[in-house]
Amino acid sequence: MIKVLTTLINGLSLGGVYALIALGYTMVYGIAKMLNFAHGDIIMVGSYTILIFFNMIGIPLVGLIASTLISVLVCVVFGIVIERTAYRPLRGASPLAVLITAIGVSYLLQSIAQIVFGTAPRTVILNFMGTITIGALKINVATIVTLAVAIAVMAALTLFVNKTRTGRAMLAVSEDRGAAQLAGVSVNTIIAVTFAIGSALAAIAGAFTVMKTYTVEPTMGAMPGIKAFTAAVIGGIGSIPGAMAGGILLGVIETACDAVPVLSPYKIAIEFALLIIVLLIKPTGILGKKKREKV
Amino acid sequence: MKHTAFFKAASLTLAAVAGAACFAGCGGNGYTDKNTEYYIGVSGPLTGGAAIYGTAVKNAAQMAVEEINAAGGVNGVNFKFVMKDDAHDETKSPNNYASLFEDGMQLSLGCVTTKPFLATKTDVVKDEVFTLCPSASGDAVPQDASNVFQMCFTDSGQGAEAAKLVKSTYTDTSSVKIGVLYKSGDDYSVGLFNNFKAEMGANYGGYNVTEASFTDETSFDSQVQTLKDCTFFFMPIYYTPAKNFMLAAKGQVADTAVYFGCDGFDGIDSVKGFDISTIPQEVSMLSHFNSKATAGKAKEFVDKYNAKYTSAADKGTLNQFGAAAYDCVYAFKAAIEKAVADGEKVPANIAAAEMNKILTKVFTSSSFTFTGATGTDIKWNADGTVNKAADKYIVKAANNA
Amino acid sequence: MSNKFTRYVSNVKSKYKLKYHITYYILIAFTLIFTVISLTGGMKRSSAFLLEQIGYSIILAVSLSLVVGFLGELSLGHAGFMCLGAYFAAYFQNALAPDFTKSLPLLSLIVAMLIGGLVAAIFGFIIGLPALRLKGDYLAIVTLAFGEIVKVIFENARAFGGAFGMKNAFRFDTDFLFIVIFLTAILTVAVVNNLIRSKHGRAITAIRDNEIAARAMGVNVSFYKITVFVLSAFLAGIGGALFAASSNSFSSKTFDYNYSINILVMVVLGGMGSINGSIIAATVITFLNVKLAATLTGNLAALKNLIYALILIGMVIYNNAPKLKDFRAKYNLRNLWSKLYAWLHKLFCKKKPVDDPAAEKADEGDWSKIPTKVEMDAILSTDLTPDTNYTPDKPDKPGKEKGGEQ
Repeated sequence: MIKVLTTLINGLSLGGVYALIALGYTMVYGIAKMLNFAHGDIIMVGSYTILIFFNMIGIPLVGLIASTLISVLVCVVFGIVIERTAYRPLRGASPLAVLITAIGVSYLLQSIAQIVFGTAPRTVILNFMGTITIGALKINVATIVTLAVAIAVMAALTLFVNKTRTGRAMLAVSEDRGAAQLAGVSVNTIIAVTFAIGSALAAIAGAFTVMKTYTVEPTMGAMPGIKAFTAAVIGGIGSIPGAMAGGILLGVIETACDAVPVLSPYKIAIEFALLIIVLLIKPTGILGKKKREKV
Repeated sequence: MKHTAFFKAASLTLAAVAGAACFAGCGGNGYTDKNTEYYIGVSGPLTGGAAIYGTAVKNAAQMAVEEINAAGGVNGVNFKFVMKDDAHDETKSPNNYASLFEDGMQLSLGCVTTKPFLATKTDVVKDEVFTLCPSASGDAVPQDASNVFQMCFTDSGQGAEAAKLVKSTYTDTSSVKIGVLYKSGDDYSVGLFNNFKAEMGANYGGYNVTEASFTDETSFDSQVQTLKDCTFFFMPIYYTPAKNFMLAAKGQVADTAVYFGCDGFDGIDSVKGFDISTIPQEVSMLSHFNSKATAGKAKEFVDKYNAKYTSAADKGTLNQFGAAAYDCVYAFKAAIEKAVADGEKVPANIAAAEMNKILTKVFTSSSFTFTGATGTDIKWNADGTVNKAADKYIVKAANNA
Repeated sequence: MSNKFTRYVSNVKSKYKLKYHITYYILIAFTLIFTVISLTGGMKRSSAFLLEQIGYSIILAVSLSLVVGFLGELSLGHAGFMCLGAYFAAYFQNALAPDFTKSLPLLSLIVAMLIGGLVAAIFGFIIGLPALRLKGDYLAIVTLAFGEIVKVIFENARAFGGAFGMKNAFRFDTDFLFIVIFLTAILTVAVVNNLIRSKHGRAITAIRDNEIAARAMGVNVSFYKITVFVLSAFLAGIGGALFAASSNSFSSKTFDYNYSINILVMVVLGGMGSINGSIIAATVITFLNVKLAATLTGNLAALKNLIYALILIGMVIYNNAPKLKDFRAKYNLRNLWSKLYAWLHKLFCKKKPVDDPAAEKADEGDWSKIPTKVEMDAILSTDLTPDTNYTPDKPDKPGKEKGGEQ
């Protein structure tokens, strides 16, 4: 029982990280109608930023918060620059072309990181908070913090999208880009804002990823990126609640698989098989909207 | 004919000729004819996650070669050492091996890691290049290959040694709860784990054993939950995940527990950004090399290595992989000297296969023993495996109150 | 009879054009040159390895080109099909029929290729099924997932060596394997070229350009999508079998998502929908990969990927950016060619070249350059007003202009 509960909490925490990354995918997909394959590598960029500034500052808690904030800034800049230089020229081109460019950007970021920082993994310990005991339950404080921050960020994002002017403009662009433009929404600005928000979420997710893995390396963004992407697709890409649900579902499944030794080796296969099954049953994902195709 | 078609044809033919020129080269054997030094070659990871091992081998072998050459070489003939990067990728090592061989390699250190070596093995056997692997520990490395020897223990040897150590340390089966953490899908980890299991006997010989595995290093939370009550951890994995597990297990696993690993643990105490003294438990490993040795050849090697390699890139590369490579080069020297003393002729431009014939005879003869940084009176079995003592080496003692 | 035959011959002669077959000649010439070099013992083993890699890279790139370039669907799991082909081929040669392989290596290799291809084709069919329901990005993620699942399953399958990788005790003789691989590559190119130049090929490219329009024209979209996936997987499986034959031992880690991307890079850099482009890109990239691996070490090893990534992004933007349409029309390879030709002609012949616009036009009929790229959207939105004046049955209501809704 205790084990089930701990696994669940760990799973929710990991799911929170995936959900944060998945939100970036889903928002960009909803608004710019493109799969930003390089999103996972923004996590890597954020993590290296954290590594540098955390070591520079040296005081654990202050260092963590300050370096995460700096990493958010750096990632926002990266996100906007990538959007402007690589994706904006292709607006209106075929989705295939945009997707391939995104893959190219992903490779570009990875190879730059390899040249600058080397291929060897770097270690940084952000998880200095120890454990707390609640009854028979013994849990890492970092796990709880991750879960709490993830929930807070998701709540803030939901409020932002539904209550603010910019948020509603985002919804409008995602609904109908042409109509939104006619109504006076600057589509280019909204897409840039989306990339900025997505990258900021990726930076926060990067901090939590490093907290869990203690490791920063050039290819570290690829697998969480693909998994979060899977989560976004399972939840219904383009849907914000869908990304949260998908991320948390994937996190719980992954942790549960790891807790059962027989399933552990097949963890990734199980996650991807789930994706294929969901897509076959409901091609738009669990919470995705069905779109009628027009000629 | 349209002009574009014509130009296409012309340019492509030109490209074909140019391409052909790239590939063609002098063929046949006699690659070693122009050698004026004994050519030692190796392929290993200088980039990627396993780069620390490749760098160690490169540095140590280079050091040994320089020392020997400075002291007048082997009966007047110098050594030459060349290393090629395979990034621990088995699709790259055959190319590396082939180009080394064609470049005139006479003595090989094989590959630093097992899988890349196995990808070249058929060619190595066919070409009869004498190979002494410093660190490729797979069981399949020396199997069915009369010219392949190992300086390190085999994976099965390590797994079995670990099991024996458990049995001798904890004679009372109820006094210990053993946790095994291995990486599924990894040849090294699964190999050690299987042999540990086999040596322990059916049902682990009555011991209480919990197994856990992982595939990627996202988070060790679940594995910690599975294993947190164990008091002895057998971890046949590399140091990066091992260190992550230890960090995740802080506060969950009892401070009196013991983390025990094999050669993959080597280097765990020199990871930048990770202070092993913050781990309250004992961390130990099975090793043929002690980097904190206070006497003997091991200390000599450690001192020389630390004095020579001080740059940031070489920091933390002192480990048993390097020590074994260092020994390998000296073993080549010793063997060639013995062969010459026995009346063989070993010129600098000797063909690789000839060199192999001579050295195989030396290495399998009962009178040849070698003492180096990784062991004393090392002997080789006819199947290519090494015969020397392995010790439990405590990287960091427990912070017992 | 003989009359019919001569007519047939003259028919073939009149239709025959060197440029349609130039690829085969060059590939065959390549193979012959290297066969001669190999037979005279002048071939280095490292060169043979390189040739083997180039050969199966061509097969993989051409087969992926079929899906990405001609069907217009993105597949990120091509290495998964290759993995299936490699494992099953090696399994057949090592576990099922070792004696047969030992006595008749070439025949065994051919059987193993067929087995590898068939197994991959079966999975191509299974992956083709969701391709009917899913489009674009969704299909891309499903193929990626498929590749990863295949990798993980082989990583843990004991019968196939599991974590230790698949051992291949019957590595094909290095002096001859590249010949087999190149012949297979030529065959692959022929199969794909002939498919693309047939009416089926036109149906496939029509699906790429506008699926709904193609369906409206009576193209059986489901059938063609499945066929393309199965054929592409089959060829990738054969490529995998050849990969297996060229290695002593291999593990499924090789066939990860990065490998699929590498093949995709070849297809994109070669020019989407260009078989010849894929062949050239596969050759050049494999050659550079092997040669640069030796020279670029340490942190600089990533420099190669950096350059590929930059070229990839630059090429895609150049080829697809809506705003660069005029730029593209002005600066492209074709213009460069004609300018270069004019320059060369001036240099050597001192005579003005006949710049026949009709010839240019005829060149666009080159199938390898996807002339089927018909802008269906443009056709559908064309105003189809007949040139005769239309007289309505009833007079228009006053005050309402006819066709004002448009």
